[in-house]
Amino acid sequence: MTDLSFPNLTRRHLLGGLGATAFAGRAHAEDETPTAATAGTLAVQPFHGPHQAGIITPQPAAALYVAFDVLAERRADLAPLMRTLTERLAFLTRGGAVPETHPQLPPRDSGILGPTVLSDNLTATVSVGASLFDYRFGLARARPRHLGPMERFSNDALDPAQCHGDLLIQFCSNTAETNIHALRDVIKATPGLLAPRWKVEGFLPPHVVKTMGADTVRNMLGFKDGTANLDARDPRVMDRYVWVGQNHGEPAWAVGGSYQVVRIIRTLVERWDRTPLGEQEAIIGRHKGSGAPLRQSHERDTPDYAADPNGEAVSLAAHIRLANPRLPGTEDNLILRRSYNYSRGITAAGQLDMGLLFVCYQADLTAGFITVQNRLSGEGLEEYIRPIGGGYFFALPGVADPENTLGEGLLAAT
Amino acid sequence: MPEISHRDRDRCCVAGIGVALLLSLGDVRPAGALDAPASTRIARAARPIALDLAAALAAYKTYVVGQADAFVRETARFVAAIQGGRVAEARGLYAPARAPYERIEPLAALFPDLIKRLDVRSDEFELRERDPAFVGFHRLEFALFALGTTEGMGEFAERLAAETVILRDRMTAVAIPPAKAVGAASALIEGIASTKISGEEERYSRTDLWDFQANIEGSKVVFVLLRPLLDDHAFVARVERSYKRIEDLLARYRAPDGGFQSYDNLTARDRNALKGPITLLAEDLSTLRGRLNID
Repeated sequence: MTDLSFPNLTRRHLLGGLGATAFAGRAHAEDETPTAATAGTLAVQPFHGPHQAGIITPQPAAALYVAFDVLAERRADLAPLMRTLTERLAFLTRGGAVPETHPQLPPRDSGILGPTVLSDNLTATVSVGASLFDYRFGLARARPRHLGPMERFSNDALDPAQCHGDLLIQFCSNTAETNIHALRDVIKATPGLLAPRWKVEGFLPPHVVKTMGADTVRNMLGFKDGTANLDARDPRVMDRYVWVGQNHGEPAWAVGGSYQVVRIIRTLVERWDRTPLGEQEAIIGRHKGSGAPLRQSHERDTPDYAADPNGEAVSLAAHIRLANPRLPGTEDNLILRRSYNYSRGITAAGQLDMGLLFVCYQADLTAGFITVQNRLSGEGLEEYIRPIGGGYFFALPGVADPENTLGEGLLAAT
Repeated sequence: MPEISHRDRDRCCVAGIGVALLLSLGDVRPAGALDAPASTRIARAARPIALDLAAALAAYKTYVVGQADAFVRETARFVAAIQGGRVAEARGLYAPARAPYERIEPLAALFPDLIKRLDVRSDEFELRERDPAFVGFHRLEFALFALGTTEGMGEFAERLAAETVILRDRMTAVAIPPAKAVGAASALIEGIASTKISGEEERYSRTDLWDFQANIEGSKVVFVLLRPLLDDHAFVARVERSYKRIEDLLARYRAPDGGFQSYDNLTARDRNALKGPITLLAEDLSTLRGRLNID
């Protein structure tokens, strides 16, 4: 197809090792005008599979987290809700033409992406909160064993209006508009079944995203965040740390899912920006510029805590050392982090409301986030951060095939 | 064909229902009408609905004027209590006086200048309650329920009474556009969904449930009048179910005196329970104009 639009594409070019697509890309590069194809708007993430997309998927630039209350009152309403969600999210992920609307009726699609919905790298990951397993739907016996309401840690100032929820959808894509479009589609498709409870949007710098993990994002404190993350491309690592397996003592339906933690962590940036650089670095345990552990030179150097038992290089209270002490036994506490930055209004005190939309996944919530967070309790960084919302959720196992639906194992379990 | 006769009965009922509705300000469920079988399915193009529609709209106009009239009467009692300095009595008359207005609120919106004097809320002003343009019902609500006084309210009350008369006169004179009349069914529900379920409307008196009830009644009047013209049985049944669910939920919060409990008594879960059928109803009623081919 492409060669038709480039008459000078000859057999010699092809034999010379240039695929038609690569050649077209070069031809386009000359005028440098992005097209739908080159801007990534046609990139598609798979919807079907043993796990939901959006967990080990490389992070695109824009994220939208929405927690919902399930308004359905009867168990019998849950299956249609899950069917509708599955159908809508499968379509939104794939993209395609929106149905035509009779002019006298409200349009089915919001239209904010135009007459053709672009896949735009969208993933929509559905997880359930502990409250879904309360008295309403008779699901109590199917509750994943670590799933409870997010507890308050000592430095938290949780706002009930931004916490918990029966269900959470994580939308990630290249653009805020694609996420919002997907959210509005879901809301339109589930009247009487779902009510949004809280919502927060996150972002990452697109130029860093393009390096697919080779470069590390900086958080609102100006430090690289996520350097020592698990390698999401290694299936053995993911099977050990992220995906619930047969041997985790979880209900059978939960196999293939993952515990998801979402924490809205406000960073008190004005105060941070008035803190000496040396103190900032000591609190985090890394050089601010390079991201290297203190007294080392490269971001990905491994800190040698055995050679630094008294914390002369990296303080014993430094964030990176508490989070991952690299001691025998603590390797069980590793988690897959997938955080975004956020920024919204101004606080009541007139300071910037921004920070980290911390998200992590793990096969065992207790061994993972809860253990790590308890180790972090009392860290020096606490003076500069204030977790204000979020919750514990369980990301449902994947939808194997088009005839399957999200959560069907859960609904069949009790 | 028994279905045809049901349908004809439904049609004949349209004008009658309208009158029946006018006579019952509180309960808008006309005897038998809800239980009547839904109209038969006939091809939309072949359906001679124009006359039926005209009859329904005429009945609705009568209803609207009736409510505007009741609004004048009820507000006069409320205003008299304020002018007499009787705080407790005025508090008790506040929500009932508003009910007729809340039943026809989208029609009152034909006169934006008027509703800004009748029903404006303090949060529409940067200065909130201190803004001199904060007048009307909520200004009096603020005095009665937040400040606990009628002091200085005489003039506000008198102006309010005069506005209700203007509203009734304009409502009597105006030709209600069909789209506006049909759209009132959903507009009343959208009002609940967008700002009322949050408790913003009656923030001092906490009489929000009175408004909900009146909004639902006003919305249902439109639906019941138009129902004989709708041939989608599943749609009609779903809408009726949603109304019923909301009515049943509201009935739980009735006070012994026939009014409603304070909206503060409802938990987040209670409010969510209302959100479900209200959202479903809003979605369904948003197709009403299209179903009736009204632009």
